[in-house]
Amino acid sequence: MSVIRLPSPLRSSVGGQTTIPIEATDLRSLPAAIAQLYPDLAQRVIKDGAFGKFVSVFVDGEDARFFPPDTDLAAAKVVELLPAVSGG
Amino acid sequence: MATIETQSPGYEATTSRRALIGLRCRACGALQPADERYVCGDCFGPIEPAYDLASLEPAVLKWEIENGPRSLWRYAPLLPVAAPASGYEVGWTPLLAAPRLAALFGIERLYLKDDTRNPTLSFKDRPVAIALARALELGLDTIACASTGNLAGAVAAAAARNGLKAFVFVPEDTEPGKIASAAEYGAHVVRVRGTYDQVNRLCGRLADEHGWGFVNFTLRPYYAEGSKTLLFECAEQLGWTLPHHVVVPVGSGALLTRTATAVSQLRATTLVGDEHCHIHAAQPAGCAPVSDAVLADWREVAPVRTPKTIARSLAIGAPSDGDRAVEVVRESRGSAAAVSDEQIADAIRDLATNEGIFVEPAGGVNVATARVLAERGVFHAGETVVLYLTGNGYKQEPRDLDLRPAIAPDADEFREIYAEVLR
Repeated sequence: MSVIRLPSPLRSSVGGQTTIPIEATDLRSLPAAIAQLYPDLAQRVIKDGAFGKFVSVFVDGEDARFFPPDTDLAAAKVVELLPAVSGG
Repeated sequence: MATIETQSPGYEATTSRRALIGLRCRACGALQPADERYVCGDCFGPIEPAYDLASLEPAVLKWEIENGPRSLWRYAPLLPVAAPASGYEVGWTPLLAAPRLAALFGIERLYLKDDTRNPTLSFKDRPVAIALARALELGLDTIACASTGNLAGAVAAAAARNGLKAFVFVPEDTEPGKIASAAEYGAHVVRVRGTYDQVNRLCGRLADEHGWGFVNFTLRPYYAEGSKTLLFECAEQLGWTLPHHVVVPVGSGALLTRTATAVSQLRATTLVGDEHCHIHAAQPAGCAPVSDAVLADWREVAPVRTPKTIARSLAIGAPSDGDRAVEVVRESRGSAAAVSDEQIADAIRDLATNEGIFVEPAGGVNVATARVLAERGVFHAGETVVLYLTGNGYKQEPRDLDLRPAIAPDADEFREIYAEVLR
């Protein structure tokens, strides 16, 4: 089982929790798993079955876009959702 | 009698906000109150200040701007927050004709927006000025940022000037001159083992856990608005006309996208006419997610995991405004280039030796891109081309210079060593 760490603007979707447990076999199935367990959260971060372009997804600190879709999430991992903002 | 500027211990607005009506989500379009939120409360999308531009009477607006301070605050009616009273003047930098560089590149009318002359020698003083004003308005006592270098100095100086604490987070390999200047202003400089994008992720986490104003995170809707003011100034300095072409260096993409916002707002307020303004993206080949997307038939931006370029201030592999930047370039019928480190170094030298302006590699990227676009035939006769020069070269580590040996204070030795040059 992995956990998803949420930023404060998203916590109201899951009853104020900072982290939530998630059962997903791999990265590809993560959006569907979120939609099933946390529909309010899914409404805000998932569009057409995938994460919206304004959401940054990190797996153990690395940008999820650098991982293949079959990346194993069954083993404990920390998935972090952040708003996609930057500029330095 | 001499005027003494004093630092304001708190927030004291010098002008009133008149046109701001709230924050609008770029994804879902929802208009929301201008409170402490930094993402859309409905869909988590990015939010940007929205204005009732029709409420600004054009002749009055123009008069107010032209008679306003010689800083970016002359555009206060088009900004989301009022000027603080701390007297820290940013912007209103010169727009310089560049005839020698123009001749070298084969461009008829070339202008340089010299933003190397801001207080901390980069354009980052502009977005920080707006974010800082918002931080004071919110009563925050600490501001912070993730930075590739220039932003760190801008945040550190603005915090010092306004009596705030500052934490600046930078990649470990940031140029020593940029780290040193931020530290001299009294900021806590946190060096992170990782790329800018990893630093940015860390700051996203910290922004949630500390009540600080992260200028490019929790204050971002305000911060990004400062970047509009370069184009505002260019248009005013060109006699209230838009340049036909603007070449913009791209890191996060915010400067490019807000250039388009500025064009749109100037048209909406009828301060300029309907003349077309092509917006071009400039990136180093070692980190060119936006330029590569433009040049690959406008595809989606693919992030760069490990940027490799001498233009470290543009080494943002996952630009948050990247896809929007590609859209802006396309909508403006602009173009893009990705230039090599060698082209960047040549461009820095061409600019310095022909126009007397010494820029950091990001400036070299922009100048090199202009040369590439000129060679592609993008610029036509009679068209005005503006290049943004966003960072000064004096913060860089000196490159290896091919200098002759030191001489004795002796005229004959001088003539002997320099015989080739004196011929």
